[in-house]
Amino acid sequence: MSPVLTYNEEELVALLKQQSRDAFNYLYTNYSGGLYGVIRKVIADEQTAQDVLQEVFVKIWNNIDQYNPGKGRIYTWMINIARNAAIDKLRSKGEIMKGKIHTAEDAVYNVQKGMKTEQMTDAIGLKDAVAELKQDYQVIVNLAYYKGFTMDEIAKTLDIPLGTVKTRMRAALQTLRQHYNN
Amino acid sequence: MNIKEYIESGILEAYVLGALTEQERAQVDADIALYPELADEVEAIEMTMQLHANETSVTPPAFMQEKIWNAIQAQKPATNNATEQKPAAKVVEFTPPVARPAWQRAAVWAAVLVSVITNFVLLSQRNQIRTQNTELASRLEKLESKDSQMLAKVESYDKGMNMIADTGMKTIVMRSAKPGHEMTGMVFWSKAKGETYLAIHNMPMPEKGKQYQLWVIQDGKPVSMGVIDNNLVANAGTMFKVPMNITGGQAFAISLEKEGGNPTPTEVMVVGAI
Repeated sequence: MSPVLTYNEEELVALLKQQSRDAFNYLYTNYSGGLYGVIRKVIADEQTAQDVLQEVFVKIWNNIDQYNPGKGRIYTWMINIARNAAIDKLRSKGEIMKGKIHTAEDAVYNVQKGMKTEQMTDAIGLKDAVAELKQDYQVIVNLAYYKGFTMDEIAKTLDIPLGTVKTRMRAALQTLRQHYNN
Repeated sequence: MNIKEYIESGILEAYVLGALTEQERAQVDADIALYPELADEVEAIEMTMQLHANETSVTPPAFMQEKIWNAIQAQKPATNNATEQKPAAKVVEFTPPVARPAWQRAAVWAAVLVSVITNFVLLSQRNQIRTQNTELASRLEKLESKDSQMLAKVESYDKGMNMIADTGMKTIVMRSAKPGHEMTGMVFWSKAKGETYLAIHNMPMPEKGKQYQLWVIQDGKPVSMGVIDNNLVANAGTMFKVPMNITGGQAFAISLEKEGGNPTPTEVMVVGAI
């Protein structure tokens, strides 16, 4: 059943602190999709992604008292827990280096091949976001946000100056922002 | 510091995207604490990524909800780490083989032959039983899923019955606060358990961009219990359990607010004292 009552940030935190089954159901119904989407961008394997999702919910549940509203919204806090857990899993499996080379190669290859935007966005997971978001931007968002690359690593991987990585990140987020504001 | 340049450099995007080293990150954290404009920008970027997460959301398989809840429950009692006791190694004594007379060997061969034939017969029977088993299993599964649906229904009826019978459960009728407008909502509330159920009877569908919000008045102050989905308004009389635990209050009320709700009620529609 879809939630009949919706809570704002503050109410949600209060609800989670009650640690009840209802609180869990509310949390799961409203946030599992968003969090699982993020995890799946990082980890392709479904079974592993499910394990991570479980780990993430347990973490959210246990650490709700450590959430500090002064440091940002609770959804961002949860998304970051999910991203970090997924990227950690990727690294622990020793797949990160493999993954890095792969992703970077694919990314460069795809850009060079001039794939259709549609295929490209699908390949790197920004599918529905903005079809018109430039490929260069997408690659960078994907490497940073979903693969855990630092700016330095991105610059080396794509063989572009560090300053360009930053300006592209800015441009990418600006485009996304406008898209969602409309 | 030139704030505008700082923002336009893209470092805050890199911060939100998690592309900074520990050191760079600490520096940005410090800058954000000093300059509220930077904090606002970070919030806007984070908001964008939240919307992005919603847009790219993937529904996990349905069984996960139960599985995760069980995992949360299971971790509660301190995990029992008693070292597993290793079973003592078994020592089998070998005795040298003894030569056996010919009749004994013949008997063994006959036994082996009988066993082979029996095995063959049993194997073909087993295969038959296996196919029957799979059929039965799938029928059982169908029945079980029907059964659990029925059970859920019975449980919800049971709940309704218990609620009516429960003397600790108070019924609060919320009546119209607007003269000339007939409106009612109902709340069933158990103070002892903190459980609350809400049903809307006869309230008009809010116009576009507006939503109803539920409040409990505690010590003269309205405390939001969440924004009410229009589905509940459309399905008059449907009872819905309020997720939030409510342990005290003097009245319940529903107000009309902008979509997403407000921190304090603007236009109270119905109210009922406890």
